[in-house]
Amino acid sequence: MTGVHDLGGSPGGPIDMSQHEVEDWERLADAVNAALGGKGLQTTDELRRAIESLENYKELGYYERWTAATELLLIEKGILTREEIDERSADLRRRWGVA
Amino acid sequence: MSDAHDHPHEEAGSGRTSSPYAARIRAIETLLLEKSVLTEAEIQDRISYMEARSPANGARLVARAWVDPEFKARLLSDTKGAAMELGIDASGPVEFVVVENTPKTHNLIVCTLCSCYPRAILGRPPDWYKSFNYRSRAVKEPRAVMREFGFEPPDGVEIVVHDSTADMRYMVLPMRPPGTEDMDEEELAALVTRDSLIGTDVPRYLVG
Amino acid sequence: MTTFEPGDRVRVRPSDKTGHVRTPDYLKGKTGWIESVRGEFRNPEDLAYGLSGRPERPLYKVGFRQADLWGDYEGPADDYLYADVYAHWLERYEGETV
Repeated sequence: MTGVHDLGGSPGGPIDMSQHEVEDWERLADAVNAALGGKGLQTTDELRRAIESLENYKELGYYERWTAATELLLIEKGILTREEIDERSADLRRRWGVA
Repeated sequence: MSDAHDHPHEEAGSGRTSSPYAARIRAIETLLLEKSVLTEAEIQDRISYMEARSPANGARLVARAWVDPEFKARLLSDTKGAAMELGIDASGPVEFVVVENTPKTHNLIVCTLCSCYPRAILGRPPDWYKSFNYRSRAVKEPRAVMREFGFEPPDGVEIVVHDSTADMRYMVLPMRPPGTEDMDEEELAALVTRDSLIGTDVPRYLVG
Repeated sequence: MTTFEPGDRVRVRPSDKTGHVRTPDYLKGKTGWIESVRGEFRNPEDLAYGLSGRPERPLYKVGFRQADLWGDYEGPADDYLYADVYAHWLERYEGETV
């Protein structure tokens, strides 16, 4: 079965050549993954597999997929729990004054 | 310069929270730090690592290859070693392949399955490289894709697409434009665009 | 698994294996040639689930004519594509040479 990520040869539209400015949280998503990899806690293959498993793959942005996949792996490996990530995210969003 | 580690991890301004995932990765970071899974220094090192890398590295490698045939041979056969000669640290488990454009062959790089890219040399890939449309179309209609970038290969040039499906990361060694015989390395490097290292364009030099 | 030499004609297995697979769908069932041997690597399909990925197996640079990959390829017959394909995804192709 074709994975949703297996895009080669799929129909596609014009290439959007705009470049968004990388945000700090995106740099952080990159860095956390690289740091976890550097310590042998996660591999590139695991990250790819986790990204590919995301049900909302097509709706998420690039670093949103990385973040969702990192979360999935950390929970799978018993390093963090969904509840504590939920709670901490909600705390941060309250502090930042966003919904 | 990133202020990602100003305490207490406040995101200044709503522009930084364009995504609900911003809070999630920040939450993950703080939890990992609290549990001593990662340290601040380890995270900052990775941020610095990526910030230090850019297409300028690729441009320098290409410019040196253009003026020094023996360096070019080393760039093609031992990319990590050649990069290190220019102070570019591309060490790590990933392997690099440099593919050379010739008068007969033009190369185009894509990763259809994700976004594999020679990050250790060139830094982050452009958004378009990671886009679904590029990943879908580059393998099937490379000429139409390149046309969108404003590049039309001359008649008789064959297009070779490289899909980075496995452990290799690819960079194009473009051809040196005509009319640049008197340029020094720095001037040559300035001609080498990021897109020419991926293959959606070529370096151009318009005389006079 | 079969191992190959540069110049060998090969076909990508048309397997519908699920899970993490680094052989793209558009190559499955297609014929091409071994351009070169990249080296030996662990299997990403297993590494993706925290398994060892051993034994290491050859990874090949495999060439395909674009005209053989796409029925409606718009371009010269000389255009081609390379992908890096693991040995266990390839089988020898004994069919007629075009």
